[in-house]
Amino acid sequence: MFVYEKKLQYPVKIAATNPRLASVIISQYGGPDGELGASLRYLSQRYSMPYPELRGLLTDIGTEELGHLEMVGAIVHQLTRDLSENQIKADGFAQYFVDHTAGVFPTAASGFPWSAASMQVKGDPIADLTEDLAAEQKARVTYDNILRLSDDPDVNDVIKFLREREIVHFQRFGEALQRLRERLDQKNVYYMNPSFDMS
Amino acid sequence: MNDNNSRGCCGVLPAMAPLANPYVPWQPQGQAQYAAKTGLIRGTLFPCLDLPFLDMVNSEEKSDTMLHQLQALGFAVQELGLYLDTHEDDAEAAELFRQYAELYEAGIKQYTQDNGPMFQKQAYQNGRYSWNETPWPWEYRANQEG
Repeated sequence: MFVYEKKLQYPVKIAATNPRLASVIISQYGGPDGELGASLRYLSQRYSMPYPELRGLLTDIGTEELGHLEMVGAIVHQLTRDLSENQIKADGFAQYFVDHTAGVFPTAASGFPWSAASMQVKGDPIADLTEDLAAEQKARVTYDNILRLSDDPDVNDVIKFLREREIVHFQRFGEALQRLRERLDQKNVYYMNPSFDMS
Repeated sequence: MNDNNSRGCCGVLPAMAPLANPYVPWQPQGQAQYAAKTGLIRGTLFPCLDLPFLDMVNSEEKSDTMLHQLQALGFAVQELGLYLDTHEDDAEAAELFRQYAELYEAGIKQYTQDNGPMFQKQAYQNGRYSWNETPWPWEYRANQEG
């Protein structure tokens, strides 16, 4: 089960409101490489993952991603506090405002709502862990791009933290693949699907 | 590569590597670590994994509020937990995990006494249910100093 801990993983304290920036950062909430997809991907892949430590890693990283979802939500929420009439009409934000006011909705910056089609649970551990490596890279690049687009030091402080987590997760997923591979047939690691053929 | 070598940051690749497989170098045991407070702002406890974009780095540590201390300790527990998921035989890291987890537990106790509940199960305080009396973590004022 999950238990709520009433704190953020990392402090989020955004002094200046900036709805335009919020309408870009929302992509890490509900975009194709965002934190919602990340958490659901890992927490769903757990069930068909063989070997206890690989299940553990997916559980722990998936749980951390839920904490990141909350942090990105906090950034968007704080960037859209107390908006003036001019601010809600700002380029880039009016399109979001008309549907969601100052609520936090899982959508890509493009306006495409969050979709499970942006993630996969293949039920094969090599395929799933390879997807996870790619997912971490894509999320990292999204944070790189946010750093290019934002000059708000309060926002960038948090984004740099989130970006670095993607690199650490990439390392751990790579190690998980190695742990998995060591248990497979070294002459042909694709001989069978260990999550289906060995259960 | 040379720079990585001099920092003791190289990973280990398997000597015999089946073809048509993705490989990420194994992080060896005993690599240097940041203190928890530094680790928090850098986003990792491991300097070797600290790979910033265009030299954009957080250089100023968070102030010493109880909440920031808890966030640093909680982060150290989480980061070492992920490391131990793939390196459960690293006794030194496991011992450090134990120490950070103990400090974190003690910190939560103190924080709850001074500031209010961190978990709903702690919400009965001073003769009443107090879960909703402190700000929620995403609120601006919940992250203000002091």
